[in-house]
Amino acid sequence: MTELTVRTRTTPAGPVIELAGELDHASAPDVRALLPGLALGAGQQLVIDLSGITVCDSSGITVLLAARNHALAARAGIALAAVPARVSRIIHIVGLDRVFPTYATARAAEAAWAPPSAHP
Amino acid sequence: MTVRGRNHVTVTGRDGGPVVMLAHGFGCDQNMWRLVVPLLEQDFTVVLFDHVGAGRSDLSAWSRERYSSLEGYTEDVLEICHELALGPVTFVGHSVSAMMGVLAAARKPEAFAGLVLLAPSPCFVDDPATGYRGGFSAEDIDELLESLDANYLGWSGAMAPVIMGNPERPELGEELTNSFCRTDPDIARVFARVTFLSDNREDLAEVTVPTLVAQCSSDAIAPPEVGAFVQARIPGSRLVTLNATGHCPQLAAPEETAAAIADFARAGH
Amino acid sequence: MCPADGGDSGGDRAPGKQPGDDAAFAALLEDSAEDLYEHAPCGYLSTLLDGTIAKINTTLLDWLGHARGDVVGRRTFSDLLTAGGRLYHETHFAPLLRMQGEVSGIALELKAADGSRLPVLVTSTVKTGGDGQPLLIRTTVFDARDRRAYETELLRARREAEREREELKRLNATLQQTLLPPALVSVPGLNVAAHYHIASADKVGGDFYDLFPLTDGTWGLFLGDVCGKGATAAAITSLARYTLRAAAVYDPDPAAVLSNLNTVLNHEYNGTDPRFCTVVFGLLTPDADRDGFRITLASGGHPPALLIRADGSADFLPTPGGQLIGVLPDAHIATTTVRLDPGDTLLLHTDGLTEAHTAQLGDGDRYGDEALLDFVRALGPTTAAHTVAAVRDLLDTFGTGVDDDTAVLAISVPRPPSEEQQ
Repeated sequence: MTELTVRTRTTPAGPVIELAGELDHASAPDVRALLPGLALGAGQQLVIDLSGITVCDSSGITVLLAARNHALAARAGIALAAVPARVSRIIHIVGLDRVFPTYATARAAEAAWAPPSAHP
Repeated sequence: MTVRGRNHVTVTGRDGGPVVMLAHGFGCDQNMWRLVVPLLEQDFTVVLFDHVGAGRSDLSAWSRERYSSLEGYTEDVLEICHELALGPVTFVGHSVSAMMGVLAAARKPEAFAGLVLLAPSPCFVDDPATGYRGGFSAEDIDELLESLDANYLGWSGAMAPVIMGNPERPELGEELTNSFCRTDPDIARVFARVTFLSDNREDLAEVTVPTLVAQCSSDAIAPPEVGAFVQARIPGSRLVTLNATGHCPQLAAPEETAAAIADFARAGH
Repeated sequence: MCPADGGDSGGDRAPGKQPGDDAAFAALLEDSAEDLYEHAPCGYLSTLLDGTIAKINTTLLDWLGHARGDVVGRRTFSDLLTAGGRLYHETHFAPLLRMQGEVSGIALELKAADGSRLPVLVTSTVKTGGDGQPLLIRTTVFDARDRRAYETELLRARREAEREREELKRLNATLQQTLLPPALVSVPGLNVAAHYHIASADKVGGDFYDLFPLTDGTWGLFLGDVCGKGATAAAITSLARYTLRAAAVYDPDPAAVLSNLNTVLNHEYNGTDPRFCTVVFGLLTPDADRDGFRITLASGGHPPALLIRADGSADFLPTPGGQLIGVLPDAHIATTTVRLDPGDTLLLHTDGLTEAHTAQLGDGDRYGDEALLDFVRALGPTTAAHTVAAVRDLLDTFGTGVDDDTAVLAISVPRPPSEEQQ
């Protein structure tokens, strides 16, 4: 059984959470717990990099939703990066592909982010 | 689930030979017979099985109702005989299974060519009223249940590595682990009660098929007087005392045990 | 416990001083094998194959309060045990020792001369001769008084825990029952079948379904899956189930039913622990002219239904764009309408089925949508009862691979009797 590895890093665009392994019932609370500690300012963008995810069940979906709620509360944006095909399929079925902007890589997500000053 | 699957029935030996059915006692499974089987296979069709709850039997077939008395086990023996349809069998019952043989033969004598009662006891508990000495008191049986419990915690941990890590004897693999390590503690408790608290002294006189009582020369749980008692109560039965000591002659003295079984089974046909 | 303590009290053993260390080492060497055996901190005995004690060390004799002459050649190991222990020894210990040549760490009780009992842990090995024949049995006996007290407590706690777990299972089963209809109502002109597979008896799952009458001869049905397990999931399941029934009475339009459910759940659960469910809601309207039904399905992020036609063809019935229920303030609900003619079967399922681990594919691989579609295609043409029975068998073949609860609900329109005979 592979567990979940969580890494966070900060970029000018905002924090990036890198997840690898199994995002399920057992590991979901850990990720939710780290959300309040993220330095996420208004107008920034929270990126969740899913490139290493092997399993994502409905609890995993709640993590994405909790992250979205957290970002919205901070008046920040949210994006998913490097979504594996299997996760992408689940996100499509539950209709969240309309809710999360998705990029091929975390770098692409950062590049797509426009600083608040760019929006008058 | 078929009867064969339920009781993990194994049929081996000579096709069409006289049929010998070996029934294991409390605490083990059909592996108890592993040293005797090769000695019987030449001449006999050998039927082995696990009582429900033991060995590789189907645990889901176990129910407290059916297996809280020897009746349920006796039913199983008759069902196996019926399903295999091999004709009358020589039933060899070790320890508690000896009494299953007695009950089964009393109920359906035509299914049996004969009975071998190996280290039998019709009643393990003393009965002061009649002067019968089974060798144990009811409190002793409670102690056994405590022993079962005391080894319940350590059993899997202590036994499994020993059993699994036996490179010289790889044949003692999975089966033993199942038998000794995975015996459901609740099932073991119920079987222990059935084994040691049943009183089948009255049933002995009902046996009408040829019967051999084979006891060991010294047996801490089925002493010689008990063997003599069994022989005296079963009309026309014969008693042999094996040189083997202990309660499990099929392990301690497989040649002697197999010879006693074979001589009897051959004579019966 | 160091028995070699006498005779060296005068020795000067200042730290670092060579001669003193030598003296101590020499004293150790004088600790003869004989003394090690006799006064070892554990009991030792050797028995013949029939159990007769041939050799026993002083430690064990002291524990038991027996004289050597009363034991050696006169008693068996079994005689030293309590009666219950003897039964255990003869039915478990001795056969196992015979079969594998070694038994370790078995808990037994010894009976001392004064009648007291000593809990011990016993390990035995069979010593064999050059020809592999067993010669004798060597046994070590460890004092286990403290350990036994601890184990007794552990056993008591374990029993207690097992009892409570049984109780919890019972409660869970009861709760689960209340979340499902006791029996499906019968709909004239429609065959209905359902199955609920419980993956774990320890936790209440979050799948649900129902089928119930609405006004004007129409019928409502739904099947859904609340994320998570346990008490919170059960509470949401209950809320979802009753809200769906009430909402369907209020406005039976399937999209409206799910929108109303979304509003209710969204008010109730949000924030850092969002809870959602995925649901399919269907409104069934009999089509008297053609012996069939029209069904409008609304999906809130739920896996698509499967439609198996009378001609045996089968496919998913997609409702793209429907979003999960309960977290987005204005979740998009997608609808689709199909006709069910005689011989047609509609199957709704939760993803416990498609997410099941399958042994054939190896660890980590799930059954998947494609396999389910193939499975259903092989069934067609079929009926509701047959489809549910087949899925049930399929779940059985997965065994423990089904790690989430699974609900399936199927409806089919019977063929006219004349066709059925063909």
